[in-house]
Amino acid sequence: MRSEQETIRAIERYSDTVQRLCMVHLKNDADTEDIFQTVFLKYVLSSVSFENDEHEKAWFIRVTINACKDLLKSFFRSHTVSLDNVMEQSAELPPDYRDVWEAVFSLPQKYRDVVYLHYFEDYTAPQISRILGKNVNTIYTLLTRSKQMLKEKLGGAYEYE
Amino acid sequence: MNMNDIFKKLFKPIRAKEELKNQTIAFLAQRTQGYTTTTVKPHRYPLYATVCICFLFMLFGGHWLYFTPTAEITIDINPSIEMSINRFDQVIDLNDFNVDGQKLADSLNIKYMNYADAVEQVLNNDTITALLSNNEVMTITVTGADGQQSAKILSGVEACAEERRNTYCFYASSEEVADAHRIGLSYGKYRAFLELQLLDPNITPEAVQEMTMREIRDLIGHLSTDSENNSSLYDNRQNGHHGYGGGHGRGWRNRRTEQQNAGE
Repeated sequence: MRSEQETIRAIERYSDTVQRLCMVHLKNDADTEDIFQTVFLKYVLSSVSFENDEHEKAWFIRVTINACKDLLKSFFRSHTVSLDNVMEQSAELPPDYRDVWEAVFSLPQKYRDVVYLHYFEDYTAPQISRILGKNVNTIYTLLTRSKQMLKEKLGGAYEYE
Repeated sequence: MNMNDIFKKLFKPIRAKEELKNQTIAFLAQRTQGYTTTTVKPHRYPLYATVCICFLFMLFGGHWLYFTPTAEITIDINPSIEMSINRFDQVIDLNDFNVDGQKLADSLNIKYMNYADAVEQVLNNDTITALLSNNEVMTITVTGADGQQSAKILSGVEACAEERRNTYCFYASSEEVADAHRIGLSYGKYRAFLELQLLDPNITPEAVQEMTMREIRDLIGHLSTDSENNSSLYDNRQNGHHGYGGGHGRGWRNRRTEQQNAGE
């Protein structure tokens, strides 16, 4: 079991990443709290020794995404999650950003994960495939399709590569 | 504009609240008992909820099984009462069809009793025995969608009524009973009403409602011009206790008799 100091350090370092992934998966506050508890408890009890910070971050991303998916499937989760919550947040953004925000959140879940990991976390397709445990060709396909969908929604004014 | 830059601008401001971090730290300390134990009890609420759902399912399922009537026994003499019987042959409800029926129902304590004991109690009731000894006519009608259960109940009721004079047992379909209830009559009276209506089209259900079975039978006898063709229940009683027939030939026993005749 990990120490309290180690755990607090991990919370400080990765809680923003966990929070963003919760946002990508449309969690409400109660669900986000559940995800935080699940992910960091798993970390405390985990005996995995990380090779470096990147390895540790990838572990947090994978565990958070899996926890979000489990919660989405769960019968007991709060059913107050709504796309409207996310869309409301876009109201304060400048118009160009608002369009992108709304286009990203209108993508199906499996595309949203890869788009977020690719554009925000700067992961390549092979890295995403390792994190999500999917075939690299599947990730290439998902990325290509999500770029096409974003282009259809936003037009050619943006650089997608 | 580069999509990577836009994503950075969009997602960078999303930060975990300090309150959430502190709650998580407190939760972890509590669940690991100050980082001393690795045996963390899993959340129990899904288990509790499952147990509760199973319990509720059993409760409502059991309630439905027990409190869904599968057969009915209607007793008519005036008073007229109707017992609802569940699949376990127990009386789950008792309805009355007129003022006398209400008085009789109030004096009985047959709810949740086996139907045979309940019928026995009704037949031994002072009001009923007094009426029967006064040469009144009583009909007992068994209704139900489950043919097997209805046949069993009918034979049980027949056994109860065997020693009683002027007591007749029938089987009726649910549709016939529904027709009877629609005009506010118990089934026994409804049969007699139909018979009477053939002789006097002006007769109304309301007029029949407060008449005793004897009065109805007497009226039928009076109105009938051809006593030999009168297939009334009252006349049938001359043949013994169980004049299953009436004029409509829809009784359980009538069906059996018709089938036997057809076989012959």
